[in-house]
Amino acid sequence: MVTQQSHTATASPRSASTTLITTAVGSYAKPDYLARARTEFSSGKISREDLDKLEKQATEYWIRAQEKVGLDVLVHGEMERGDMVAYFSGEAGGNPIKGMKLGGLVRSYGNRYYHKPIVFDKLEWPGPMTVDMWKYAQSLTDRPVKGMLTGAYTMVEWSFDEHYPSRRDAVLEMAKVIRREVEELVKAGCYYIQIDEPAIHTRPEEDFDMAVESMHATVDGIDAEFHTHICYGEVEKIYPAMVRLPVKQIHLAFKNTNFDYLKLIDQFGYADDKDLGVGVTDVHTRFLEPVDEVKDGIRETLKRLPADRLWIYPDCGLKTRTTEESEGKLQVMVDAVRDIKQELGIA
Amino acid sequence: MPTTVVGNYPKIPNKPRPARLRNAINKRDRGDLTSDELEAVYDEVSAEVIQEQIDAGIDIVTDGQVHWDDDQTYVMRALKSVEIGSLERYLDTNTYYRQPEIVGPIGWEKPILVRDFQFAQEHSTKPVKTIITGPYTLAALSLDKHYNNREKLVLAIAEALRNEIQALASAGAKHIQVNDPMILRAGADAHAAASALTLMLEGVSAETGVYTWFGSAAAVLPALLDTPVDVIGLDFVSGPANWDAVSRGFTKKLGFGIVDGRNTRLESPEQVAEAVKRISDIIPPERLYVNPSCGLGYLPRETAFDKLKNMVEGARRAEGVPV
Repeated sequence: MVTQQSHTATASPRSASTTLITTAVGSYAKPDYLARARTEFSSGKISREDLDKLEKQATEYWIRAQEKVGLDVLVHGEMERGDMVAYFSGEAGGNPIKGMKLGGLVRSYGNRYYHKPIVFDKLEWPGPMTVDMWKYAQSLTDRPVKGMLTGAYTMVEWSFDEHYPSRRDAVLEMAKVIRREVEELVKAGCYYIQIDEPAIHTRPEEDFDMAVESMHATVDGIDAEFHTHICYGEVEKIYPAMVRLPVKQIHLAFKNTNFDYLKLIDQFGYADDKDLGVGVTDVHTRFLEPVDEVKDGIRETLKRLPADRLWIYPDCGLKTRTTEESEGKLQVMVDAVRDIKQELGIA
Repeated sequence: MPTTVVGNYPKIPNKPRPARLRNAINKRDRGDLTSDELEAVYDEVSAEVIQEQIDAGIDIVTDGQVHWDDDQTYVMRALKSVEIGSLERYLDTNTYYRQPEIVGPIGWEKPILVRDFQFAQEHSTKPVKTIITGPYTLAALSLDKHYNNREKLVLAIAEALRNEIQALASAGAKHIQVNDPMILRAGADAHAAASALTLMLEGVSAETGVYTWFGSAAAVLPALLDTPVDVIGLDFVSGPANWDAVSRGFTKKLGFGIVDGRNTRLESPEQVAEAVKRISDIIPPERLYVNPSCGLGYLPRETAFDKLKNMVEGARRAEGVPV
């Protein structure tokens, strides 16, 4: 087993562990000073350099926090991103995909509004969008840091399209853009790349083939390990079709539904060539799950899949939890995995 | 050929105009504004969006459903034995609603929409159309913990809402529109859905309509044509098969949904005029309303306004009116 990893470019750091690898989904809470700085930057009061410094400071905090907790594979925490689609479409501070811009405010529910992006012209890769921040985060640690991207289907589904004749045209063009970014990440030395598709269950009966096709177009033939995180909601509607997504690993929010998704695996099976990402702590609750409860969830999952095919996660990004809650939930998860590994006699 | 809208209208404008309602709700949530003061802002914004529709040239306006959080709860929470549950995605949009939960026998207690209608009509120089969500859609998007039978629930809601329709008609509502998009997905329940509409609307002294969106109505059209509604509204943007569906035996007035309520791409007046001329060859102009494909609440406010302006101009061109 490989025990030592370099974090220099092209070395593609991989996890030292191969069983029950612990990691996170993507986002963490932004510290107050960064939230304030983002507002100040939006209104032109501070420069990009000033904001950049604070984004890096906050990123370093989260890298150290994850190391301290003992995660195997880290995320950079998305300190530079507000929204996972808007970041790539014109959010202040980002490098937007050509042909995209943020539109006016649209209501999602209650009193919540967001600037819904618009595809207004041919989509083109604008140069690296995520590489600098990934490189910075990876430079801080010997543990692998995941590359984090939003999938083409979700990018289009959560935007207005004024340019392309059909949703499929837009999604496949978008896949080319995301693929280009994937290539840059790999060139920079990134090995684990997570491509999130939370919109994938919006219209499964009509669009699932399109979503699979666009993931193929995004990742096929690229030497990296791809993961996807499928968010809450109606996983039963897209299972087992979901298993066709051409990624090495699919991550689901198991804890939020008390491991009900295991029934789907019992009923329909899972792909032999895929790892499974298991969300074991709920991100919508403030309290910390007892370690024993988390262990129970992992044990139940181990009845279906072997330890070397499971990665252990929280259910979702932790940006809505406080720093303390997030670190607590990650610690519970890591403690549970350590105990289980001991039980299984795995180092 | 009158122009109209399908229902909701964006509640807040973009900068530099102030997002008054959004700010007021935030203030109320912080305890800096009383509920009565917030109600006053809801009213001001209703009057504002009514005027905006009139400014765009719309002939029959709505109050924009500004008071409504979503299409279901505003009606359902006022009925007996309904609780409001979890947040759910509304069809295939990126918009969410709270799911009503039916915990006992449904009943109507007091008018739900009459006051809003009266306020809107007092603040409009054009006729105001009242919008109410249809019994089938309300049933289909609710969690039924009591009837355990879709048809029984649909009819119970229809019976309750018949009281509301009569209260609206007594208050002087001349246009009452039932928004019932889930009818398109009713399958074998289509006849129950149609019976519910009949139960709710039969004999009412107002022009009544049923509107659907997000798809073709071909499969349910025969059932809808058997109901006493005067107007059937169809979405020709997401349901091109509706062209064919209305080409034979369509005896009602048609709400011709031709401007895309879900995309910011702006239709030109020429495109609207062309589509209106084409539909006029199938349905005589005196039986046509021209309107967007669905409510405009999925769009930024300024885009909604621009779309309505172009739609009105297109409809006028199609009629040969100089613009």
